[in-house]
Amino acid sequence: MQVNSKRRIFHAIAFHAVSILISALFILPLVWMASASLRQPGLPPPRTMEWWPEPLAWSNYNRIFEMLPLGRYIFNSLLVAGIAVPITLVTASLAGFAMTQLNRRGRESLLGLSVVLLVVPTVAVWVARFILFRTLGLFNSYAALLAPALMGSSPLFVLLFFWSFRRIPRELYDAARMDGAGPLEIWWRVALPLSGATVIVVGILTFLLYWGDFTTPLFYLKSQTLYTLPVGLRQLQELDRTNWPLLLAGAMVMTLPSVLLFGIVQRFFLPENRLAGIYGQ
Amino acid sequence: MNRTYTASSRTQLLLMLTPYLLGAAVLVGLPALLSLLLAFLRYDGISAPVWVGGFNFQLVLANPVDLLFPISLYNTLYFVILAVPVRVLSALALALLLSRSGRGVGLYRAAVYLPTIIPDVAYALIWMWIFNPLYGPLNLILDGLGLPTPGWLADAQYAKVVFVVMAAFQIGEGFVVLLAGLQNIPPEYYAAAAVDGGNVWQQFRYITLPLLAPWLLLLTLRDIILSSQNIFTANFIMTNGDPYYSTLFLPLLIYEEAFDRMHFGPGSAMTVLLGLVTAALIGLILSIVGSWGETDAS
Repeated sequence: MQVNSKRRIFHAIAFHAVSILISALFILPLVWMASASLRQPGLPPPRTMEWWPEPLAWSNYNRIFEMLPLGRYIFNSLLVAGIAVPITLVTASLAGFAMTQLNRRGRESLLGLSVVLLVVPTVAVWVARFILFRTLGLFNSYAALLAPALMGSSPLFVLLFFWSFRRIPRELYDAARMDGAGPLEIWWRVALPLSGATVIVVGILTFLLYWGDFTTPLFYLKSQTLYTLPVGLRQLQELDRTNWPLLLAGAMVMTLPSVLLFGIVQRFFLPENRLAGIYGQ
Repeated sequence: MNRTYTASSRTQLLLMLTPYLLGAAVLVGLPALLSLLLAFLRYDGISAPVWVGGFNFQLVLANPVDLLFPISLYNTLYFVILAVPVRVLSALALALLLSRSGRGVGLYRAAVYLPTIIPDVAYALIWMWIFNPLYGPLNLILDGLGLPTPGWLADAQYAKVVFVVMAAFQIGEGFVVLLAGLQNIPPEYYAAAAVDGGNVWQQFRYITLPLLAPWLLLLTLRDIILSSQNIFTANFIMTNGDPYYSTLFLPLLIYEEAFDRMHFGPGSAMTVLLGLVTAALIGLILSIVGSWGETDAS
């Protein structure tokens, strides 16, 4: 017994030591970004690894807002994401709910379609979509950026809602139907209120998708007043390619909101124990 | 449709599906077909399109002036063949390590997922800094350890490897999928194996691996299709194909051809060829996996 408990303690220590090392490795890029963003611009290369720059140059963060209208870009990014999130929540949850109510054949063909859509690379539709949007007069407007929200932004979000709605006991749907409720009413009064975690997860994932999107604004936006933050960061890079402290300060501004939102969502997103989170059977 | 619904309810269900289906048709289906058509046209967005048969493919595959397509196809395959196994295997290893519940595990999982949520442009800038030959922390550490300090992105020999390393840190999705897969394995299976005296390796080989196999296959196939396109932003920001085209990956070449030079025909031909190569790669993997199944059955 004595030997056994010693072995268990040794195992626990080994597990935590390995896990802490791995976690540190995955956090390292963020730590280096933060420390580099506070380095005084124009210094010569350091001779050894420098974890904590001396002196801390908080002014880097002011400088980048003076060089470019980053405030405007942040507003634009928030605007695009702020419109995309509610539309996505409605379209994705409607489709996901309708899938739970179809018969087996209809449901399975829609599941198949969603999986196919999930693996179609966007590169495959870049060129043709560009020509299509230009013909429709969507060039240089947010309509081009927001178009995917009409189909739930990603088939994955439709599937997440489908799985979530399917876990709700059928009897609840049937009872509502007996009371004369149509599918729309059941979606709004039964399905959505019981799927709060999924709404939050999909909402935040959608926000992250539009907040970080670089390619769509790169292809479709020409006027600087419409630029979103990712394109603004690219502009910052073109202004001064080697001013690393400023570039990484920009990267920090871009990354911080994502990290904060991830902090909110991670307890739903990373199943802590069996049957918890949004993956439960 | 469900028989217990009335006719008006069925109309409602159809309406609920409309945005998704219509969006999929207009944003994915139609452009995919249009790409196929464009590959056979000469079109610059200004003058009317002209049918040119297989000329675009000829131009792309056997251009006497430049060999950019073959070069970028080689680069892309090089990346996929290195990055996909590394990504899937590290996601598997981390999911196995962190599948237990207990104090701190939630934080470890969050840490592993963290690089995946960093926006692409910021992520590219971070790694440009890390791999910077003079200022970057990586070479400072290597130098401190007395190891060689390559020029990384400036050196054609190492530049592609940087993209593989970057991709190896953004494995959150595969990690979460495998974690969920592991948690859905009934614990009784392991209890039964323990009674029979199976050791840890045998449990992994005969319980965990077979039950995770479909997920591993799905992740591998998805990664083959998507990992090369996911590096477009990093590719565009970090190297733009340099040095000497050693990091010219196909999505970047397609972007330059179609959006910079307005050569929509050759750009679409490249898209079609990329699709064919990807399909061939997937067919190869499925046939290998299929043959495993046969030998198991016999």
